[in-house]
Amino acid sequence: MVYLTRKIEFSASHVYHNPALSAEENKRIFGKCNNPHGHGHNYTLEVTVAGEPDPVTGMVLDLKELKEILEREITQRMDHRFLNYEVPELKGQIPTCENIARVIWNLLEPRITQGRLHKVRLYETPDLFAECYRNGATHA
Amino acid sequence: MSDAITIALGRRYRFAASHRLHSEKLSDPENYRVYGKCNNPYGHGHNYVVEISVSGKVDPETGMIVNLTDLDGYVEREVIEAFDHKSLNEEVEVFRDRVPTTENLCIEIFRRLKKFPLASLERVRVEETSNNAFEYAGEEIQDRRGVQ
Repeated sequence: MVYLTRKIEFSASHVYHNPALSAEENKRIFGKCNNPHGHGHNYTLEVTVAGEPDPVTGMVLDLKELKEILEREITQRMDHRFLNYEVPELKGQIPTCENIARVIWNLLEPRITQGRLHKVRLYETPDLFAECYRNGATHA
Repeated sequence: MSDAITIALGRRYRFAASHRLHSEKLSDPENYRVYGKCNNPYGHGHNYVVEISVSGKVDPETGMIVNLTDLDGYVEREVIEAFDHKSLNEEVEVFRDRVPTTENLCIEIFRRLKKFPLASLERVRVEETSNNAFEYAGEEIQDRRGVQ
């Protein structure tokens, strides 16, 4: 098995606020991420696909195709957007790194048809990331 | 979606510490042969980077596996305060009779953070320099709590 990783970047804003909680609780749980005007990050996304290289092309999948999938599914949807208001998949969820990573997994998983989506890792800052992988998967 | 997935949160921390690689089980010439300049009797230091990942259920109320304030506080107390600006050989109990290689440091950090009560520790990675990194995920099969 070979693991192939492609990286993209996008910039977006968000705010952490749960309308079911009081203003004080929101402030206590989310701290400065609760600032009502929102704030933004430069996100870095690493997408890892696992598979056997095709005997003819030597590729797990065509990187150009992966690039187009990422552009269509992720960049166009999330880049320079306010995640709470402009990304329907995040509707009703707090757009934490964990939830965004899960939305990204769910968007990409059915689109990767050569090889198999192995892992997505989403960096919110260089020191904070969330990742999704199948239960029990070994890390690559 | 066909399979249940694990969601993990990763976080990077830094500390600076000194160490000396020297085994009581080896002679002085053997120590020098094995550890080279890392055997220098006065020790030397590194800026270590610790990357950890924890998994668990994402709380629908907060969107979080664990509140970063809780995770950071725990790592700060258990690891950073214990190691930062210290001599690992002299000031960390476990390294009195264990060579403080980054392999052993990785295992010790894993042991300390495995007790974190609010999420399940998946993995510890320690970068000794920007060119050397070590990872440890424990010896047993992890309790991976799947989420849909």
